[in-house]
Amino acid sequence: MAQLLEQFINGLVLGGIYALIAVGYTMVYGIIQLINFAHGEIFMFGAYLALMLVTVFNIPFWIAVPASMLLCAMLGMLIDLVAYRPLRDAPRLSALITAIGISLVLQNLARMIWSARPQLFPTETLPAFLISEVNMQTGEILNAIPLPGGGILPYRDVSILLLAVVLMIALNRLIYLTKIGKAMRACAQNRVASNLMGIKTNQVIAVTFAIGSALGAVAGIMVGLSENITPTMGYYKGVAAFAAAVLGGIGNITGAMLGGIIIGLAEVFGAGYISSGYRLAIAYIIMIAVIVIRPSGLFGKSTANRA
Amino acid sequence: MKDKLTPKTITFGLLVCFLPLLMYGVDDIVDFLSQYDIYLGWPGGEYMLRIIVRACVYMLLAVGLNIVCGFTGLLDLGYVCFYLIGGYTAGILMARLGVSYWIALPLAVLHGTVWGLLRGAPTLRLTGDYFAIVTFGFAELFFRIVRNEQWLVGAPNGQLRGIPSPTLFGITFSQNWHNYYHIIILLTLVIFITYRLQHSRVGRAWVAIREDEQAAESMGINVSRYKSLAFAVSAAIGALGGGFIAQFQVSISVPFFDFWESILILCMVVLGGMGSIRGAMIGAAILGSLGEVLRPGFIIPYQFGNARYLIFGIILILLMRFRPGGLSLKKA
Amino acid sequence: MRNWLVGLLIVGFVSVFGCQPPDKNTSETQTKVQKELKVAVAAPYTGGSAAFGEMIRRGAELRENEINEAGGINGMKLTLLFEDDAGKPSEASLVAERIANNPQILAVVGHFNSDCSLAGQEIYDRAGIVELSPGSTAVEVCEGSSWTFRNLYHDGFQGKFIAQYLDNVLTGIESVAVFFDNDAYGRGLRNAFVAEAEKIGLTLVASEAYERDSTNFKAQLTSIKAKNPDAIFISGLYTEASLIVKQGREAGITAQFFGADGVDSPDFLTIAGSAAEGTYLTTPFTFGAGGAEAQQMAADFEALHGVAPDTWAALTYDAVGMIQDALTKTYNAEATIADNRQAIREHLASLDTPEESYKGVTGLTYFDINGDTVNKPAYVKIVKDGQFVAAEKQLRELK
Repeated sequence: MAQLLEQFINGLVLGGIYALIAVGYTMVYGIIQLINFAHGEIFMFGAYLALMLVTVFNIPFWIAVPASMLLCAMLGMLIDLVAYRPLRDAPRLSALITAIGISLVLQNLARMIWSARPQLFPTETLPAFLISEVNMQTGEILNAIPLPGGGILPYRDVSILLLAVVLMIALNRLIYLTKIGKAMRACAQNRVASNLMGIKTNQVIAVTFAIGSALGAVAGIMVGLSENITPTMGYYKGVAAFAAAVLGGIGNITGAMLGGIIIGLAEVFGAGYISSGYRLAIAYIIMIAVIVIRPSGLFGKSTANRA
Repeated sequence: MKDKLTPKTITFGLLVCFLPLLMYGVDDIVDFLSQYDIYLGWPGGEYMLRIIVRACVYMLLAVGLNIVCGFTGLLDLGYVCFYLIGGYTAGILMARLGVSYWIALPLAVLHGTVWGLLRGAPTLRLTGDYFAIVTFGFAELFFRIVRNEQWLVGAPNGQLRGIPSPTLFGITFSQNWHNYYHIIILLTLVIFITYRLQHSRVGRAWVAIREDEQAAESMGINVSRYKSLAFAVSAAIGALGGGFIAQFQVSISVPFFDFWESILILCMVVLGGMGSIRGAMIGAAILGSLGEVLRPGFIIPYQFGNARYLIFGIILILLMRFRPGGLSLKKA
Repeated sequence: MRNWLVGLLIVGFVSVFGCQPPDKNTSETQTKVQKELKVAVAAPYTGGSAAFGEMIRRGAELRENEINEAGGINGMKLTLLFEDDAGKPSEASLVAERIANNPQILAVVGHFNSDCSLAGQEIYDRAGIVELSPGSTAVEVCEGSSWTFRNLYHDGFQGKFIAQYLDNVLTGIESVAVFFDNDAYGRGLRNAFVAEAEKIGLTLVASEAYERDSTNFKAQLTSIKAKNPDAIFISGLYTEASLIVKQGREAGITAQFFGADGVDSPDFLTIAGSAAEGTYLTTPFTFGAGGAEAQQMAADFEALHGVAPDTWAALTYDAVGMIQDALTKTYNAEATIADNRQAIREHLASLDTPEESYKGVTGLTYFDINGDTVNKPAYVKIVKDGQFVAAEKQLRELK
């Protein structure tokens, strides 16, 4: 029972991170029907930029996080401006290939700038409560909630989960209560019509990229806190998050959040109870089963007929 | 393909036929220059021939993927799974069971076709990106099976060694130029079949499905059957490529068949222009060799050695920026 | 019409050049006196294993600088060509052909990934060029070709060594769990370890896999914890092992962690932090036990690159040294490239007893008939106060 609880928490924390990345995929998809393969790399850049701000420029962590979000938002908008905007009216798959190209460029750029060796936020740069460890000799636990069965739930993971929830709610409010949110929803429904109604669609798309990238950056920093930062970190998490976005019904933000949590839980329970060699494959099988039963994902509209 | 025996096609045909000779000619030039120590790090003929053989394999795969992606308009992100199935079926049959290549290859193709149909069945209703993610999931699953089930291959990581080269009339076809003619024959066969399919009733049905599935259905086209046929043919071609690569590489392991390969083949199809056999081949010829052309010492100086995939990405972006409809189309 | 003529001209021109039988070998190439000797270093400089390629490159560069500052090899400059295989066997076979086909490259140091070494093996064998791997530990790597060598022990030996060390030297270890990297290295090492553990009566309670490049291991660790093993053997590389140790301690695992040579890197200590404390690992050498030369190499490395060397940097440093040694003794400027390549192989193959061995910073290297390094001692290190130190008890003889 204790193990079950622990695995559940593991799954939730992982799922929260997936959800944050998946939202970035799904928002962009909802508006321009583009699978933004470069999103995983923006997530990786978010982590590296924060790390660089903290270590090279000695900026406090609390400022580095929003700064990295801002930089990533700008990076997202820049990519949209340079690479995707010229292809707005081109066949949809052309933009997909561009996205793959950007992903290659960013990944290799990161390797050349920051080296391929895995890195971490140095402990002295982090706020104290984010550093949790258990002292092997004394059994003393720092900054963590002890779990039944001997494990600990670090405050770090709790903050990751809380921050993910807060950001999701904020995003939800943004989309349903603000003017720009309304414009985004309008663009998602019909871009041409929105344009005719006086909505500056290119601006709306840029804002979408900015928000998605900023959320990706947060997720990257979260992963950098509890795991490590490498140039290829965007790939695994990015693919899983993409699966989460599709599972929830691509284009649907609530669906992406839920999809993230489901993939996270499926992965953890699959690895913990079925077979660790098939860790992500189990999550994919569940995803395939869901999609075959509900061909438009959990929350998707069943009208999508594009390729 | 409409053109008859024009000088252009004859020249092209001759070039294809004598390519290995040409490459070994390059070798001689390299040898000649290196005597005077003015060798500039040119690639050798065997190496260039190997790149060409691999590019031909990619052409084969791109033509196969083009059937699903280009003709029926479904985004397949897991095409590599048929490549893998073909490769391991042929590889295991030959290396572990001692079956002749000439029997193993058709069996591999058959096995691939079966899985193409099996994968196709539940996905018939799916469209667009939902189809894409299901195909991706399938590919990932097969990748994991070969990686985890050690009894299948007998070694970790799907490491299959010592796949024998095919023999016929006592000749062993293990040289690069053997493989070149081998893949050219397979490729010609595949192009011929695909071309005939494209310009038949079947091909027209596929395009009709791509343009509007409901309209096609109302015109009396059996959408499920034609889609299944597309999956089967496409899978068979993928498995054929796999069967070839197994004997070509002598030893294979799962990283040969990772997600990147799926993406790369997809890039080739889109880059060349969706729905065009010639386009798929142009795309494969370019992207299948670009990774090697960008290696330092050829056109890139040694100082920029590790930037080749960066440049690869930039080229992808630029090509799509200026030819968004693909290279084979005259206008976007 | 013009196309036609141009085409015919090209074909004709090149056919004249290519009239020799196509299966000719590069052996006919007559190389005149060269001012520089070229050796390829093939490793993953891009892609998922790039972190390892980086250290290999740095180790090789250090040796190259030292050799050339000391006047080169018999007065000739040594030039290393760094060829990227991206850690993928499909690229490795192309790189192998590229190297084998280059009539100036005398030998290859590489590859790192076992898959890549195996993918290149057939081509190097056909072309007749030495492949000296500083990183591939899969058992099969050296089998089946007389041109493949490696200067580190293989997984079969290491797995056995670790099982016996756990059983005989460490006290109170009854049950073990294996947590392995699901690729050639991790699985191969795990198989050897499990076979020996079963033979000597260690109870194997769990055997869990993880994927290279993954960073979240909590699911598997939680289920390992439920089995409550005395020791956990991590069969993988430091990039993941550091996170496993860290996340394992957070999950409340108190068992003894044990790693293999893949864990031996300064980055392991940085990333795992205080969780690394008390982790045992085996390694082909230690900078401490390697004597003054090893210490000197570590210092020089740090001076040149600003980071501490790891196992692969040192092994590559030695591998380049072995090729240098072979070239110094055998290189004949008047001979053909094929003969020179052959001479290097013969020289390496002649290093077959401890007396004949090559003495480098990683200890004595000599080969058996396959080209495998034999009897290279395995050292056991332990992490103490954030440093690798030699464990108090070492295991000298395998049963």
